[in-house]
Amino acid sequence: MSAELSALTLACLLQIVQFILLAIPANLEAGPKRTLSPRDENILQYVSPPTRRLHRALINHVESLVLFGSAVVLVHLTGSASTITAWAAWTYLAARVLYVPAYAFGWVPWRSVIWSVGFVSIAVLLVVPLWTVGITLP
Amino acid sequence: MTSLYSILAWYGLFMIATVLAQVFAARAQVGDMTLMGTREDMPKLTGLAGRLDRAQANNTVAMALFAPAVLMLANAPPASALLTAQVFLAARIGYVVAYAAGISVLRTLIWLVGFAATGWLYWQSI
Repeated sequence: MSAELSALTLACLLQIVQFILLAIPANLEAGPKRTLSPRDENILQYVSPPTRRLHRALINHVESLVLFGSAVVLVHLTGSASTITAWAAWTYLAARVLYVPAYAFGWVPWRSVIWSVGFVSIAVLLVVPLWTVGITLP
Repeated sequence: MTSLYSILAWYGLFMIATVLAQVFAARAQVGDMTLMGTREDMPKLTGLAGRLDRAQANNTVAMALFAPAVLMLANAPPASALLTAQVFLAARIGYVVAYAAGISVLRTLIWLVGFAATGWLYWQSI
């Protein structure tokens, strides 16, 4: 498997890990009765601030993963993988892994810096296919 | 490069641009320190920042549906696929612009065009 696809696989596993990291304290704090309910009320009010931060970190990761996944598969299928894309993919993964403790432990403003690194990595992965295989206007 | 791929790449870049627009609007509204903080008591974004935030969330959902359809079709795209994808991209751009400008009803119609285009791509994938 290529570097980019490996990074994507691990990034998807990271979502699973982040979900578990959230689900354990959330269930301990809000109680399974609430988490298993239809959640008509916002159950986040029943969990602690650190757990709420883990929730925000998870949402952010999922949103980011949609774009990263598309970009990696795009790189893969257009055959535009290179040292640059490999670096971008691994950098993205590292940034997303660090983002979790950055949010959980309140590393301010470093969380935003770390987020930006991941964000730029995605942009690189989107620009490279257009650049190397020929920029075609949509 | 198959043009379906390039449309996907352009939509990804458009999503990046929307995120940036939302970030700058949010910075203007609540300030850098709030955004870079733990966001524990983050005020709800209103006005342009709020609209761009909702548009961005909608973009993500649209991409989550659009990308798999494109990736399934890209190797052997049917004749209508390229035009459908172009319509999708145009609709998404129009959607974010309409949302940012606060244009209602028309925004929803534009969304519907993009959504229908996505559905059509899936239909072609079967």
